Amino acid sequence: MQLREFFSPEAISLSLEATTKDEALKELIGALDLDDKSEGILYKMLKRRENLGSTGIGRSIAIPHCRSLVVNRLRVAFGRSTRGIDFKSIDDKPVNYVFLIVAPPLEVSNQYLPVLGRIAQFSKEADVPERLAALETPEEFLALLEEKGT
Amino acid sequence: MHAQLELLLELQDLHTQKRSLSEHDDAEVESEMFDVDIEAALATLDEKLVELEERLEPQVRERYRDLVRAVQRAVVPVLSGICYGCFVAVPTAHASAAKRNQTLGFCAHCGRFLYYVD
Repeated sequence: MQLREFFSPEAISLSLEATTKDEALKELIGALDLDDKSEGILYKMLKRRENLGSTGIGRSIAIPHCRSLVVNRLRVAFGRSTRGIDFKSIDDKPVNYVFLIVAPPLEVSNQYLPVLGRIAQFSKEADVPERLAALETPEEFLALLEEKGT
Repeated sequence: MHAQLELLLELQDLHTQKRSLSEHDDAEVESEMFDVDIEAALATLDEKLVELEERLEPQVRERYRDLVRAVQRAVVPVLSGICYGCFVAVPTAHASAAKRNQTLGFCAHCGRFLYYVD
């Protein structure tokens, strides 16, 4: 399994307009191309998950995630904010890179936790924040995932 | 989307979240990677579940509670005409999922609430 397989260029934004955590969640949900009601339900679920503890894992990275009936397969999105977003992260620093993961409650291939783990592993690589900052196109993001072999 | 179905979806998603946090693998990830206090999280989810259940209409709530007791997953998706609770074909008219979700439907075979996905 390669992370690259789950991302499409349409769900990669290198210039998030969001200035708050809530706006960032909404903007990334919007990249999944769901209907309005589904977007609303998903937003509430992600907010509820954030209320249990921030998904900001430090190193300028956050991985909001949840399972929801409104998707029928695992969906991911990536967003970059150059100005940084207050995500109440573990290290109290602003977040510049947001990976959104949403999975249906039942997955035949059970990819949710492995994908979460792979993104966390990718995020821990020493040069990743710097490389993410330098990206100019979604294709470069996909190439970086491939290069890292995650 | 039918307002009660929307509420049921939220309830089912919260149940899923609670069940995940009760399972070893998910709990370990949430605790170690995201520093979540699992016990506190489960208590928070229980409170929210009660609050949302109270917003269901009495008849819907009764059916929902019966289903949760009997089969746990009270709301299931219908994908490609199949109920993902009992995996039996659901008779469907040629209408979009959004249109079908405007009414509150049940599976004739297993009785679960149905959520249609295109």
